[in-house]
Amino acid sequence: MTNEPRAFATVDLGAATVSVALIGKQARSWRLIGSCALPSAVGPDAALESLLERIRLADPDRLTELGVDGPTDGRMDGSASADLVRLEVRTTPAPTLAIVAATERALAPLVAAAERSGWRTVAASAQTTDPLAMTRMLLDGSTDAILAGATDPPAADERGALGELAALVAAVGVRRPERSIILAGGMAERLAEFGDPARRSGELVLAPAAGVGAAGAPLRDLLLELTGSRNDARRGLGVAASTLAEVIDRRVEVIEIGFDGATRAVARPATASEPAMLDLAVVPGAGLAPAEPDDEVVDRVLAWSTVASDRHRLRDRLRELRIAPWADATGDGLDLRVAAAHASLAQTLAATTDMAAHGAPDLIVVTGGVWSAMPPSLVALTLADIVRRPGASQLTMDHAALLGPIGSIPDAAERRAVLADLADDLLVPLGTLVMPAGLRAGRPAGQLVVHGADTTVTTELASGALVVVPLAAGNGAVADFRFRDVVRLGGRGRGRGFAVDVAGGLAGLLVDLRDVPLRLPDRADSRREQIRAWQAAVRPGTRA
Amino acid sequence: MTDRTDLVMVPTRRLIESPVDAVFALAPGDRALVDVGESVVVGAPIAERLRDAHLEEIAVPSSVDPVPGARWSRDGGSGPAGVRHTEDGGELLFTWRGKWRLATGDVPDPLEAPVAGIVREVLPGTSITLRATGQGIRGVVALGGPTRGKLRLATGASGGLRPGGLDVGLAGTILVVGTRIDAETLTRARAMGIRGVIVAGLASKERRDFLASEARQRAALHRLPSYAVLIMDGANRRPMAGPLMDIFEMLAGSEVAIIGDPPALVFDAPELALPVPPADFVRVRGGALLGREGRWLGTAGARRFDGAVYLDAGRIRLDDGSVATVALGDLERFG
Repeated sequence: MTNEPRAFATVDLGAATVSVALIGKQARSWRLIGSCALPSAVGPDAALESLLERIRLADPDRLTELGVDGPTDGRMDGSASADLVRLEVRTTPAPTLAIVAATERALAPLVAAAERSGWRTVAASAQTTDPLAMTRMLLDGSTDAILAGATDPPAADERGALGELAALVAAVGVRRPERSIILAGGMAERLAEFGDPARRSGELVLAPAAGVGAAGAPLRDLLLELTGSRNDARRGLGVAASTLAEVIDRRVEVIEIGFDGATRAVARPATASEPAMLDLAVVPGAGLAPAEPDDEVVDRVLAWSTVASDRHRLRDRLRELRIAPWADATGDGLDLRVAAAHASLAQTLAATTDMAAHGAPDLIVVTGGVWSAMPPSLVALTLADIVRRPGASQLTMDHAALLGPIGSIPDAAERRAVLADLADDLLVPLGTLVMPAGLRAGRPAGQLVVHGADTTVTTELASGALVVVPLAAGNGAVADFRFRDVVRLGGRGRGRGFAVDVAGGLAGLLVDLRDVPLRLPDRADSRREQIRAWQAAVRPGTRA
Repeated sequence: MTDRTDLVMVPTRRLIESPVDAVFALAPGDRALVDVGESVVVGAPIAERLRDAHLEEIAVPSSVDPVPGARWSRDGGSGPAGVRHTEDGGELLFTWRGKWRLATGDVPDPLEAPVAGIVREVLPGTSITLRATGQGIRGVVALGGPTRGKLRLATGASGGLRPGGLDVGLAGTILVVGTRIDAETLTRARAMGIRGVIVAGLASKERRDFLASEARQRAALHRLPSYAVLIMDGANRRPMAGPLMDIFEMLAGSEVAIIGDPPALVFDAPELALPVPPADFVRVRGGALLGREGRWLGTAGARRFDGAVYLDAGRIRLDDGSVATVALGDLERFG
């Protein structure tokens, strides 16, 4: 006997959902024993108690074997989970960054960098905002930190305004010494105007200038670093994506849609020619339920809703979703969540367009409370609707919200070992999405032959259609595509014939022959009908 | 299970909060009239907010050492007795090219404390935080400004209010309206001197129309007293929660206040024994049974609901005696 624990719990405490799981050692490997997700208002302790009670009822000896005390006689009074080792991460509300620059041109890339680096933003330039309004914005009680930036070196149209701008920000810094101030690009030259940094309780940080693509990565990384607490779930997701890519030796993309923000992480393992890569974006503006759903948000959700509704009514429903994210989750409530997930995912992609350069990943992992409330086929369809990227990717779901907690394990070797043990348990296979581009509309597209272990299924393909080939989880197959026209299939290039290794899942093999990018009908009723038809195509037995 | 420990699975809504730290926002140029640690009584002016804040440039004599955020006093000329005096000139913001930028204005509006309490924090240009004496009931949002008045029940828990239901005899009161109210009734209530409305739900359209009306009113030269709408639940039509209604009934006739940050009803009634709902009392806050109330019977495990969605559920006995199985996320209890 050793004192090494034979079980531990993972807790992912989000703004809307608390996900807990029990991990136990079996035959020298860590395995997922059970998991559950509940409204975060229930709290991690009660959720863990509930999980232990369920495991006790299902398999009374299991907890004993793992050395875990289950609730006595079903009493969920907190005593059973108190001694359990926990790996806990949290999602905290995004802090607000007030961003100022001399010109609108200099301001835009700063805002873009901050909005995908975990910050909510308010912004103003000296070009369009008077110093009084700018001071009001910087002093506002909801502002957590200040970013003052300029291009490096400052452009001609910036130079005249930088002096006054620096004086204004420095004065705010004197009044609110607890607020961190970040001086980016050419603004860093004004450091002397901000006095002695040691006399401030908030940090005074010099940062590189904002830029597009890889050139902007240093500022984005720094901003992300400045947001996070040690046990931040979203940063954990990034680390876990990187480790997962390494463990399974595949390109991985993790997409998290949360109540109060979204995460996108693209990771690639090291190869002989390239080092490992992780590109992590945290987009608070892409949350499922924005605090104040303006017309833009409402229209984005309305575009994907199958329920006839006007803007006011939909705004009411979004407000209700914000107030009680777990309430009314069925029927029309499910439609709202599916539509809101579409809108959030589209926002996430719009904030991270530079990630398109990484190409289609081998594996897409979705995580977050909204996905677990949706049938798997709708999860796959949502990804297909929004991620219009030609290629073939396997779709999976982090159903027990394990990636965030595992990503918080500080020791890389230990993290890799735990993830390697749990790789088969933590990802629920949804299936494979194949999306060719370049099909000619309105005519037969070709033929698909799926060679499974025991059977061969032949399907005729028509452009514009969604084709679902049932393929159970755990089953692999070779999908042999014979297109009439030359099409593009992501990294597989252009051609008429492709043999693609596909993996099964709860949603099967989804072949998406719709336009890339997708075009929705302009008329609201036609659009709703079209979306219903697509949903019916992936969910046989449901009404179109 | 013989006990009700599985009730922990039902999200809890805090019924009474104490202490309540009320935050009043300030803008550059606004003048705080209180200091940290000071006690304030109801109606005491705590700040002056500028209606017409603008920037001025001033030269500061080398004999003084001004700092950002400090008040600047200017020469007010001679008084009737020939004595020279100074008057508040505004707030120093920053110095640029040897001159100070000053936030100032000519038309200050007094901000009066809607509750008694102790000043916890004063941040010029940002906010004043006041720890209120008494307790609070949290809503989801408060529209309008901080206000105070006598609480009065206008309807029952399931009632609504129309403009015809208002009369001038209600001036100075804060009305509890059960289910829902429209923007027309809200603006008419303000015009009749009613100080505030507490309602379970306010639809987005009514909210938008009311806020537009409120903004127009705030911009007018002759303003009406501060007025607020406190929304307790959300945007959909539903009855006011029974436990809240019970407290409102007890507080009827008492002086109460509505504050915006946090959105809450604040009252100081230590002599009242506020009613607390039974531990197994639950309320449905979403779905087909929205607004219904009942008693918790126990967890029902994962159930399949409309749309092939599987959710953890609980069984409750509704107030009419029937038993329903409801998703846990659709339930709330009060603690």
